[in-house]
Amino acid sequence: MSDDILVKTRGLKKYFPLTGGVFRKVIGKVHAVDGVDLDIARGETLGVVGESGCGKTTLGRTILRLLTPTDGTIEFDGVDITEIKGRELRETRRNMQIIFQDPMASLNPRVTVKNSVGEPFIVNRIARGPRMRDLVLALFLKVGLTEDHLNRFPHEFSGGQRQRICIARALALNPKFIVMDEPTSSTDVSVQAQTLNLMKDLQDEFKLTYMFISHNLSVVKHMSDRLAVMYLGKIVELTPGDIFREAQHPYTFALVSAVPIPDPKFAGRAQLLKGEVPSPINPPRGCRFHPRCIFCRDICTREEPELRDVGDGHLVACHFAGELDFGESVQQEYAVALADM
Amino acid sequence: MATEELVLKITGLKTNFYTYEGVVLALDGVELFLRRGDTMGLVGETGCGKSVTARSILRLVEPPGKIEEGEIIFFDSDDRSGKITPIDLLQLHPEEMLHVRGKRISIVFQDPATFPNPVFRIGTQIAESVLLHQDLSREVVEMKIGEMRNSLTGDLPEERRSQVVEKIRYYEQQLDEPPEPDDKDKKKAAQIVAEEMLKLVKMPSPSSVMMQYPHELSGGMRQRALIAMALVCNPEILICDEATTALDVTVQAQVLNLLNELKKEIGASIIIITHDMGVVAETCNWVSVMYAGTTVESCATVDLFANPVHPYTAGLLTAVPKLHDTRERFPQIRGTVPNLITPPSGCRFHPRCDYCTEICKKEKPELKEHRPGHWVACHNPLS
Repeated sequence: MSDDILVKTRGLKKYFPLTGGVFRKVIGKVHAVDGVDLDIARGETLGVVGESGCGKTTLGRTILRLLTPTDGTIEFDGVDITEIKGRELRETRRNMQIIFQDPMASLNPRVTVKNSVGEPFIVNRIARGPRMRDLVLALFLKVGLTEDHLNRFPHEFSGGQRQRICIARALALNPKFIVMDEPTSSTDVSVQAQTLNLMKDLQDEFKLTYMFISHNLSVVKHMSDRLAVMYLGKIVELTPGDIFREAQHPYTFALVSAVPIPDPKFAGRAQLLKGEVPSPINPPRGCRFHPRCIFCRDICTREEPELRDVGDGHLVACHFAGELDFGESVQQEYAVALADM
Repeated sequence: MATEELVLKITGLKTNFYTYEGVVLALDGVELFLRRGDTMGLVGETGCGKSVTARSILRLVEPPGKIEEGEIIFFDSDDRSGKITPIDLLQLHPEEMLHVRGKRISIVFQDPATFPNPVFRIGTQIAESVLLHQDLSREVVEMKIGEMRNSLTGDLPEERRSQVVEKIRYYEQQLDEPPEPDDKDKKKAAQIVAEEMLKLVKMPSPSSVMMQYPHELSGGMRQRALIAMALVCNPEILICDEATTALDVTVQAQVLNLLNELKKEIGASIIIITHDMGVVAETCNWVSVMYAGTTVESCATVDLFANPVHPYTAGLLTAVPKLHDTRERFPQIRGTVPNLITPPSGCRFHPRCDYCTEICKKEKPELKEHRPGHWVACHNPLS
């Protein structure tokens, strides 16, 4: 079983120091990621959703060691990579890549895309010159770009094409694991569909493992085998099932209900969550969701719930998981209406 | 459509941007109409000209952009008499435009992080718009009466009390024809109006928010403040340019709910510019779909979702990821949005359209009524 796990984190924490005063003294910590236990199986897509500031991007970057974890361990392919550095880290990084949110910002505007995509080959001493060009061209054809595109600069492409270039670059070294950090949030619906389809095709072809980070629930749902919901640096629910129908954590339920339904028949029926996400500098005590939770009871303000299995690998961090009755949600009705169609 | 129920009518609007690479035909004959009391969704992909349309309505297109031709008729109704006067916004002198912009038609911009000016307090910024556009003389007198009533409740010597009562009477006589107030009183009254507005948009603890700077507020609160700022002068038309795009779903739901409620209260017509079909379904009763600088379809929301007639709209609706279906692949529209410096000939959608015929390549279709209440610009509309 453990062979099937590609990425494994235990008690992963990442705090950012907060400085202030004349001497830039540390006056507090932002608890961006606060104790995450995660297993990502080979070949699966793990979706991570949550509101802005819940730590989903930080989690992705910490797993790739782009940020040094404050505490906890990360295992990649059976090897502990929490402490490695230098050459060893570089070697490991060949197997893990990231695709960022804004493709314009992650491509150097003064370098042709051929050189941008080919740089991993040069850095890792795999190929250069004409051989590199051939390799880049092969990648370009894979992601649906053509030979004419090779010598252009990033500004000459549309948003969707730029995202393809970033995907090509991520694929260059034949990685095992790719973190996709909001890859489609800057593209339009019609182009977004193309990009997502491409990523699914590539996953099948190269046997890739994805961690798909997004705040767009519908997109994540489509892409993922399992879905993790984060709130204030913690995973509150992780499920292989349909979170729209089987949500067990009150936060997941509220999040799902807030998604606008693209059908006017269901207008004005979204359930509203009171207040906003509290600051991760001083997260609430006990269950972090308790100040906004309608089911909050005494124990929630005192004790932090653990992520526990409620069956079929469905993990929920709530004291009352399985006991709460959320009632019929608009989403469920919409699902029924869609099924009838 | 009868003109008396319209509040805004745009015909043949063309706006170009003169860049080094060439002339960008950002808007190429946009046709829109907004009925009084409606909430209209203006949808389309990036670069289709939604925001440029909004900016053209307010004449906020800056060089190198230029509004070339067209008509934007705004049917202004007088607050007291209810008399409706049509105004062509494009013919107005820039000075006169100042009385329309922000007062009769106001806008909430896309990014709440950049729009409230970071160096002024929220209260000051909302009050500024009140000071500029509203005659506050009545509010000032009311404010003075209110202050004196308050002082009456306290401990006062009998002599002083009768003086105050007399003064209240004196001011109450002024209520019908209030005198021109001085600047100091006006500022105070504007602050009160601003705070009322913040209460209306359900801002938590409005009086302390008045004294805060934008960076002290969260995204959702900033967006509420911007909405308050836009609504404070009781506009006829409120334009929300991607007002909820930068927000999280839970906060977005709160803001959309607020807009729905406010609409009942203030009676303004709203244009919601968005690319999210869910937002449209949630808030709008009328939709106009734009593609590459032209209006392609315009009809009631329910009608659009049930029976889209333009191939682009149909494609767009199926490309929206739905929460529940378990399709393995997303349906997609092939190709990408065209470059507007050299837009495709004829119908601008024809290179991506599955139903394209010869005429589509040559002739640009006009927006016409395909069936009652459903306008479409297509040679081969789906039925």
